[in-house]
Amino acid sequence: MEKKLEVKNLKISFRTNNGKVQAVRNIDFDLYKGETLAIVGESGSGKSVTNRAVMGILAGNGMIESGKIIYDGKDLVRISEEDMVKLRGDKIAMIFQDPLSSLNPIMRIGKQITEAMLLKNKASRRNSKKEFNKMLEKLKINMLEVVGDDQDAIAKIDDYIKTFDAFNISALQLENEYNVANTQAQELVADVADILFENERKQKVDAVASAKKFIKKIARTHNVFLTSRYENDILNCVEAIESIISNYVSDENGLSQSIVDAFSNLKELYEKIVAEEKPNFFRIGYYKYKNPEETFEGQDVVELNAKTLAYLDDNFMKDFIEIEKKAVEHAFIKSNNAKNAAIPVLEELLAYIKSTDLSDKKALLEHCNNAYASVKACRNSLATVKDSAIYTFKSSLNAEIDKYYFAIKNNPKEEARFAKQTAKREALIAKGKTVDWKVVPKVIVDLQQQIENMAIIIEDLKTKFVAELENPVIDFEAKSVELIDYFKEKASGVVNVITRKIAREKAIKLMEEVGIPAPRIRYRQYPFEFSGGMRQRIVIAIALAADPDILICDEPTTALDVTIQAQILELINKLKKERDLSVIFITHDLGVVANMADRIAVMYAGKIVEYGTADDIFYDPRHPYTWALLSSMPDLNTNEKLESIPGTPPNMIYPPVGDAFAERNKYALEIDFEMQPPFFEISDTHKAATWLLHPDAPKVDTPKIITDRINAMKNYGGSKND
Amino acid sequence: MIDNNENILSKDNSEDVLLRVENLSQYFKMGRQKLKAVDHVSFDIKKGEVFGLVGESGCGKTTTGRSIIKLYDITGGNVYFRDRRICAGTLDYKEAIKKAKNDCELQIDLLKDEYKNNPTSEELKDRINKLISVRDTIIAEQKTLMAEAIHDHKHGDSIYAAELVKQLDDEYLPELEALKDSNPELYKETLKKYRHERRVAKHSRFITRIQMIFQDPIASLDPRMTVREIISEGLVIKGIKDKEYIDNKVYEILETVGLVREHADRYPHEFSGGQRQRIGIARAVVMEPEMIIADEPVSALDVSIQAQVINLLNDLRKKLGLTILFIAHDLSVVKYFSDRIGVMYFGKLVELASSDELFAHPLHPYTRSLLSAIPLPDPHYEKGRIRKTYNPIAEHDYSVSQPSLREVSPNHFVYCNDEEELKYKKELGL
Repeated sequence: MEKKLEVKNLKISFRTNNGKVQAVRNIDFDLYKGETLAIVGESGSGKSVTNRAVMGILAGNGMIESGKIIYDGKDLVRISEEDMVKLRGDKIAMIFQDPLSSLNPIMRIGKQITEAMLLKNKASRRNSKKEFNKMLEKLKINMLEVVGDDQDAIAKIDDYIKTFDAFNISALQLENEYNVANTQAQELVADVADILFENERKQKVDAVASAKKFIKKIARTHNVFLTSRYENDILNCVEAIESIISNYVSDENGLSQSIVDAFSNLKELYEKIVAEEKPNFFRIGYYKYKNPEETFEGQDVVELNAKTLAYLDDNFMKDFIEIEKKAVEHAFIKSNNAKNAAIPVLEELLAYIKSTDLSDKKALLEHCNNAYASVKACRNSLATVKDSAIYTFKSSLNAEIDKYYFAIKNNPKEEARFAKQTAKREALIAKGKTVDWKVVPKVIVDLQQQIENMAIIIEDLKTKFVAELENPVIDFEAKSVELIDYFKEKASGVVNVITRKIAREKAIKLMEEVGIPAPRIRYRQYPFEFSGGMRQRIVIAIALAADPDILICDEPTTALDVTIQAQILELINKLKKERDLSVIFITHDLGVVANMADRIAVMYAGKIVEYGTADDIFYDPRHPYTWALLSSMPDLNTNEKLESIPGTPPNMIYPPVGDAFAERNKYALEIDFEMQPPFFEISDTHKAATWLLHPDAPKVDTPKIITDRINAMKNYGGSKND
Repeated sequence: MIDNNENILSKDNSEDVLLRVENLSQYFKMGRQKLKAVDHVSFDIKKGEVFGLVGESGCGKTTTGRSIIKLYDITGGNVYFRDRRICAGTLDYKEAIKKAKNDCELQIDLLKDEYKNNPTSEELKDRINKLISVRDTIIAEQKTLMAEAIHDHKHGDSIYAAELVKQLDDEYLPELEALKDSNPELYKETLKKYRHERRVAKHSRFITRIQMIFQDPIASLDPRMTVREIISEGLVIKGIKDKEYIDNKVYEILETVGLVREHADRYPHEFSGGQRQRIGIARAVVMEPEMIIADEPVSALDVSIQAQVINLLNDLRKKLGLTILFIAHDLSVVKYFSDRIGVMYFGKLVELASSDELFAHPLHPYTRSLLSAIPLPDPHYEKGRIRKTYNPIAEHDYSVSQPSLREVSPNHFVYCNDEEELKYKKELGL
């Protein structure tokens, strides 16, 4: 299965007035495509913090001390905020616990759903233009570098680039016209749907005025590529409507059947038109550029696509790709050479950091600048997907260096403060006074760890370079086609307009999908007019508006009662299947996840203590904490006293040396207080961090309450499935 | 319309019924409309039992609890605690008066028309006068009942206090009289004791025998009071001035609910969620109540803490002989904790039975849909689970006969009409 998200060795802390709270301590997990991973644990176990780190929305005092969160080849810990903005909400969406607090109370529901769509569209249009021009410039530079001083070749390249730019502009014009008409057509569909809906609800509708409005709008939908094949149908429709409204008598009881039919026909026709395949304007643009007189009246889109493709290939594309391929190859080789050169520099820097004492900041920065320059040279200027490791190398290494020198300055200060306060407190106690304040623990940054972090960044990049250089064979043909596709995508991004009305239709479709009845009315309402379950559905619709890859649900049903909870869980399950989403489901209630989860990670005190499939966790739990969680939950057959977990979770400012759960664990061994247990594998999918699984550990049976329940479940489940 | 709910209350009127709720109605004004949050709900709670009240949010279960403890003035019905009326509403009397007026006036109008045509008829005149007098007696009767109800509702506490004071007077005054001359020292002591007890009695309110635990432990504790102040507040209001006694009581209660003495001087924010809920319980228990209304006491807590709090409530119940009205929406918890369960749906009690009976033989379709929605920690079962939905319009046809709460099998009540009653009985094999 494809891995969607990888979390490796993640460590997160919060600075507070009382010291450093270690919220997440070195956890690892993977999320595969189309699966649900449930993270279960008490409040304060770090499950929400982990997922906030994935979204890049940690609180201001939070810091990621080490680790990686890899999504789509990018390390989310290290990428810049601009890159994160592109992912957050777009690729990774989140549903929060309390639906009311994640909705704006003074904004209509519809606006809240469409807001992101509209903003995103505007931003992407601006960016696309910039990126198109930038990439074309880079391509030209590389092409020129390939040919060197050959004047003929330079002239030819100039000509090609000019042609490419020019026909893309002509394609843009055509596409823009098409898009405007298409937008009008889509809006027309929406308008007709609105009128029919209002009529259905027995609201007063002015048939004549709306018919005139439609006819005006129909005139605006005329476009060679969109409507030329439907001219007759459209004409018929318009005539039918005109003949009806010429002698229309308004009726108190709503629209007459004939005009409703005419409107419905119009709507159907335009729905068909809108659903038509979009012509390939990249090809048609070139054709038009070469043959400006040609009109495309009444031509079938598929035929037109084929015809223009052949024309483009024969006259331009084959040669262009030939040159482009060379440029791409050139850029690749250039970057590989730079990588070859950069490896020793990185090695040298690594050795310097490890061997020298780094008291001289200037010397270190000089070394680093050297490395930055050589790493910067490694950028492949024609790669469509940016290599985030190279791009973020400087910023992430600089951040670590800053932290290191800050710590050198700050650590002694902290020590002194701590010693002073302790002495003061002890003196007061010695005097026999009651002291009602505590000494704030010292926040000491581990210098060795900091150096380690720097080394990891450099080493990661180095190993990456080495691995890339080992497989130098690359299909440059495919790469150049990819580049052309990139241009096409950016070009159509420039003219892809989403208007308010289109966004509204999309939102209404989404609202239908998440099970909100009468979305056209609900669209105009405020959050307070919705019940708890409906609000949560709206939040889910907003999360899905951008069509994300990963959906993080942070206790989405905790604030809801049983029946609504069941509905929301079913909805999330349904959407997951339909859209092939990967879901991270955070909860403290194991009962909820039995239905949802493919795999479960049980978290306690910032660590994952057990990790396995749903069947593993529910039918064969191994960690005492999982036992405790399962047995503290009454089910319908429980009569005996509940097995509650005594005490409270440990204070994470002073995390315990051994197993964090040892103090509350009646099965704790002596070693649990001294050493943290590693993961013991029970099967391929199932592992647990408890010393009880060590071969030398005394044999401890699963508590009776759980075995009883599992047996009961097996019988019950078996009979149910038969 | 008044539902025929009388049969649900135990007929023998035995002493072990602690709380009796009769036709309780609580309406709220919403503009011109009335929101019937609780609509003619009747049940009784026996001494020492845990009565669970379940239903989805907004069905009126919390309002029922708050109405019983007089946080709202109820619209209609009566609530008796130890056979003493603590709450009373006027809705039923008003409706009876309205009905009497409507019924009689219709007939009177008819007769008057007849009388106009036939002004000499003495018989008609008699009949009219008779009807008017019947109407007036009914109205007068209902008005006196209403006045009684209002009196009981308003002055119940002061009547109770006066009774207590009288009891004390009867007990102490003769003794004091006797001691006054014979033993002046003992007289002084007794007088002090008498005055203290009299003060406490004067301030005591009957309603404090019912205490409440709230859902959200953060919102229900004053952040600016220490735990000692929070717990002792009720005792101070009661008129107790002995600091040492109060402190000892606070320590004792803290230990009862599983906290330690040192916690007394801390503030609520220094505690975890489970501990805060323990403070809420301590505050209720310190008043030595006979009954506790627990309004979703574990809904805001983590699973592991939930178990601690439920165990604590269970222990307290055994130790102190408490009766508990347990309001919650988590059915597995309610099943585990309660002896009898009432299911509410939009202000009506739709089913009432012992907890085992309710889960074994749910009859009302709403109860069934609730039960089918409980998530269980069992993936295999969950994958095959079919959730039932409840649609009251499709489910019931009440055009022919009106529904009411009926006893379908012994001690199992369902809100249904004649036809459905037969159906349910058949399902049970009766």
